[in-house]
Amino acid sequence: MQYFMQLLISGLAIGAIYGLIAMGFAVIYKSTGLVNFAQGEMTMITAYIAWTISTTVSGNVFVVALGAILAAVVLGLIIERVVMRPMLGEPVFATVMVTIGLAVILRSSINFIWDAYPHGLDVGFGRSIVRIGPIGVRTGQIAVIVTLLALLAAIWAFFRYSKIGVAMRAVAADDRTALLMGISATRVHALAWAASSVIAGIGGVFFALSYDLSPAMFQLGLKAFPATILGGLDAVLGSGLGGLLIGITENLAGGYLGSGMKEVAGFAMIIVVLMVRPFGIFGERDIERV
Amino acid sequence: MIKYLATASLLLAGAYLSTTPALAADPGITDTEIVIGDVEPLTGPPALLGVAASIGHKIAIAEANAAGGINGRKIKYVLEDDGYVTARTIQGVKKVTDVDKAFALLGISGSGQSIAVMPLLEKAGIPTVIDVAPVKFLWEPPRKNVFVVGQSYEEGIIHLVNYLAEKNPGKKWGLITQDDDYGITVRDGFDTVVKARKLNVVYSGNYKKGQQDFSSDMLQLKESGAEVFLAGGIIGENIAMMKELEKLNIKPVVGIFWPGRVEPVLKLMGPAGDGIYAVDYVEPFAGAAGKAFLEKAKGLLPEAEMKGINRYSMTGYAAAKVLIAAIERCGKQPTWACTITELEKTKNVETGIMAPISFGPGVRFSNQKLQIMQSEFSTLSFKPVN
Repeated sequence: MQYFMQLLISGLAIGAIYGLIAMGFAVIYKSTGLVNFAQGEMTMITAYIAWTISTTVSGNVFVVALGAILAAVVLGLIIERVVMRPMLGEPVFATVMVTIGLAVILRSSINFIWDAYPHGLDVGFGRSIVRIGPIGVRTGQIAVIVTLLALLAAIWAFFRYSKIGVAMRAVAADDRTALLMGISATRVHALAWAASSVIAGIGGVFFALSYDLSPAMFQLGLKAFPATILGGLDAVLGSGLGGLLIGITENLAGGYLGSGMKEVAGFAMIIVVLMVRPFGIFGERDIERV
Repeated sequence: MIKYLATASLLLAGAYLSTTPALAADPGITDTEIVIGDVEPLTGPPALLGVAASIGHKIAIAEANAAGGINGRKIKYVLEDDGYVTARTIQGVKKVTDVDKAFALLGISGSGQSIAVMPLLEKAGIPTVIDVAPVKFLWEPPRKNVFVVGQSYEEGIIHLVNYLAEKNPGKKWGLITQDDDYGITVRDGFDTVVKARKLNVVYSGNYKKGQQDFSSDMLQLKESGAEVFLAGGIIGENIAMMKELEKLNIKPVVGIFWPGRVEPVLKLMGPAGDGIYAVDYVEPFAGAAGKAFLEKAKGLLPEAEMKGINRYSMTGYAAAKVLIAAIERCGKQPTWACTITELEKTKNVETGIMAPISFGPGVRFSNQKLQIMQSEFSTLSFKPVN
């Protein structure tokens, strides 16, 4: 039982990070209909900026968190304004290719702006180990699980009750009708990119707290993407839960079936789930009337 | 008239040959300059080794240029980034040989990349000294123009496992490796000693390249009861493994391999990284030779590049020293043929940072002497243990 619990807790912790990044994917898809293949790279850039703040401005956890959130907002807005908005109305394939190009540029920028060495994000929090009986867990891991759950609740409330949230849902459902209702689609898109950058960036910062920062960190996006497919590409909350499912499945498979199965298990689960529900566990069936 | 024309032609030909002899013979050399090319991963995670190796090359080249160059010719260093992508390594080598007209090559990128460009190097015949990723294929069979400074991965692992086995008789062993050519080499070396010494292996894992979370792997290691653990990761993987072991509250005897023996790793591992054994053929920076190397680099490198130095800077420096010395021995008119002959004659060349380097007729691998080191968290350094 202790073995199982340790696997479960570790799975939840890494799954929460996948979940946050997966929610970033879903926010953009839900608002713009676009899959952002630079999500992992945006996550990494925010984490590196947080590290830079911690080493040059202040190591205070609140200063770093505020700085990282602001930086993520700016990053998301810049990408939307400079790179994505000119692509409005262009074929989806071309737009997706732009995000792939953006991913390569952001990935390479790490070596140009920072370096190839791994770095630890030290904000005086997250690295200490809490022992619950024989089970050890880092405070950063507990914090990321709590943060994901809090964000899931906040985002549910945002889409359900706030004007902006309802506007985002309207644009996602039918942008032309939303435009006729006086909703600015470009503003909603900009907001989606900023929100996606912040949510995924939080995941990146927590990853850096629990593990470390390195130019390989963008690969988190490759793990989070299956999570969002599993939860539903248009389901922000579902993507978060998809991340938890992937994390737990990976860890249990790695623990009981062997190291080699760890990477395979999540994808195997996606294949099975998509065969039954092609739009993901929480995704909406795309109905076309003819 | 015919006699006059013949004499004039001979004089013209003689004049041409005497003014640009080397230019006519081999590319990359003028009266004032010799071009040395290099292709390394300068972006992406492997930039950790590519940037460091290129810094080592730069130190040796700056040192030679400060001393007047190679027999009066300044060395021009042309460096290309391959991003650790084999197709780009091939493009890079073609670019430095065909466009930049390099006279000789250093590097080249990782093991897979070096192997991929081998036919190109052999066909071109350009003198090449490889220093980043020594694997047997690069010197077996020996290629006329390709020399390798270092020690084989397999020998390194055998040396480390033998050492740990002698220090920890009768203990249970665990191993985890990456699922690529690097991991296979590590596993082969490990298996050689396991067979010879009949070691009791209770855990054997294999992770996918790029894996960042090792919680289930290390939990399995704990459950197996392994007392000696060979962590076959490179950089980030080993850090993640050590942190997991700390979380699981176990501290087996741990051995790591030289690609991961870079000092900043110890800071990230924290106290969990104290006492780790490592094998290498270059001197640790904590020793007198390492300190002298850093001191030398300070005078030759811009401040910004100093932070990129690691053990790969030492291997790069040593290889560049050997190449520069060979070209120098060719005198005023160096050629590829002469450089290759002189590289072959390399005998006990001292670099100060590894055992003396030698090649020989048909010997294209320097077969460097190995040493075991142990990490010390309090000083964030590795120190020799024997």
